[in-house]
Amino acid sequence: MKQNSQSVHNNIMVVALPDHPYYFELIKHFKVRTLDEAINSFDTYELVIDLSPLRTQKKFLFLKELAKTTKADIVSDLTLCWGEWIMKYSPQVKASVSTLFYSPNNAFEYSLRDELDSEMVKTISQFAQTMNQKMIQHKDLKLSFHYPRTIAMIINEAYFAVGEKLATAEDIDLAMKNGVNYPLGPIEWGQKIGLHNIAQLLEELSTITRDDRYKLSTELKLQAFKYL
Amino acid sequence: MKIEKVVVIGSGTMGQGIAQWFAQQNCQVQMVDQNYEFALKSLEKIKLSFSKLVDKGKFTESQTKVFGQNLSVKKLEDIDPLADLVIEAIIENLEVKKELFLTLDKLLSSSVIFASNTSSFSITQLAQAVSETRKNNFLGLHFFNPATIMKLVEVINGLETNPEISKKIIEWFNTRKKVACLCSDSPGFIVNRVARNFYGEALRAVETYSPEKFSEVDLVMKEVGGFKMGPFELMDLIGIDINLSVTESVYRSFYEEARFKPHRLQRDLVLAGRLGKKSGKGFYQYETK
Repeated sequence: MKQNSQSVHNNIMVVALPDHPYYFELIKHFKVRTLDEAINSFDTYELVIDLSPLRTQKKFLFLKELAKTTKADIVSDLTLCWGEWIMKYSPQVKASVSTLFYSPNNAFEYSLRDELDSEMVKTISQFAQTMNQKMIQHKDLKLSFHYPRTIAMIINEAYFAVGEKLATAEDIDLAMKNGVNYPLGPIEWGQKIGLHNIAQLLEELSTITRDDRYKLSTELKLQAFKYL
Repeated sequence: MKIEKVVVIGSGTMGQGIAQWFAQQNCQVQMVDQNYEFALKSLEKIKLSFSKLVDKGKFTESQTKVFGQNLSVKKLEDIDPLADLVIEAIIENLEVKKELFLTLDKLLSSSVIFASNTSSFSITQLAQAVSETRKNNFLGLHFFNPATIMKLVEVINGLETNPEISKKIIEWFNTRKKVACLCSDSPGFIVNRVARNFYGEALRAVETYSPEKFSEVDLVMKEVGGFKMGPFELMDLIGIDINLSVTESVYRSFYEEARFKPHRLQRDLVLAGRLGKKSGKGFYQYETK
């Protein structure tokens, strides 16, 4: 279990893994726990911020275990989950965030169970500020957060194109930056987010919707394979 | 590679921008349009653009004077048969384009490189309109709007394009502050294909007509994703009909691949005449003058 002498938020437990984009900032300010540590903790907290990179089923089971150890409100990262389903069946989750995907603008989406919950907005805002991030509200979360699902589809298509030898990865990045002003090329964007995260999200969307549009590019799967 | 004399066929937005850009590279540019008067008007617009560029300090008056002298308007039958490059930028209609290339094939010397600025047709298919010996000299040069500002040129090799020619063209563009990217002859090339789901996934995120949701998605994609414009405001700017037509074309060309499936919300807006900014209404409403 990590002890952090710089912790300024002793009443908050954060669940995160070392590959979370905020990890180095998180350990400066919070008690950061792994999943196992979190569900075996006997400490009391006012709030749990769960940033674990889990898909719907595993997230649900984890949140269920977590709820046995604490009565604290939970803010959970649902980047890789069917958001609406988790919110329906995990009542202790009062708000959700999407922090797992690298943002070129240092910002994340959040969604509230109760849109009038101003206390929760304040809490998430403090967290965002501590992490040097901006936050944008996503009302009435349904299938998934907007940014991750959209960018995942763009990156997947870029990998389909690489796999079909439409162009080199370098030219695809150059084309998207210079033809339509993308802040990053999709290939470099995918590297920053982590192809395993892209693959996990698309597989989750595919599982939930049974829609072929979320089919993973073989090239992306190949590159992400070591993580799967 | 020597590119000093360029013929640009079609004087719409793209043709005009392409002609202007080549004139700014000190090429002799002959502008052609099936409507001669329209080409003359385009030339006037380019000259007006030059004076604005002088006001902004981008070029000196003497520079733009030379650029202006580089441009001329011609009838198709009067174009220089010894031009180095001819670029077609006319209406996206396969038969009309093929007919034009057939005519050009007869008018121009065998050494002239033929290029199409098409965004939706196969280069290999278009090249079928020209003689066998010309096919090696036929490629795609896909510019982005506004062509004088956007750096990208997609250079597309058809099945019979001589790769040495596209390689040399890429080098030529890259020494003139364009970013030329080589791609194979596949629907949507790079940009129109990879960008499809910037729109398609956003449409699925909202599912039904909801200006509040359009704004939310646009805001998220700008603030979190770092895009300059959100998908809905961009579709309104491009024209929802134009955007839908590109999606439909890519979808058909990929034999109805699910990733490119158009969305009914977009179709319904087009059917309702809500085409975006140009019609005063699209995903959003605009003040009409």
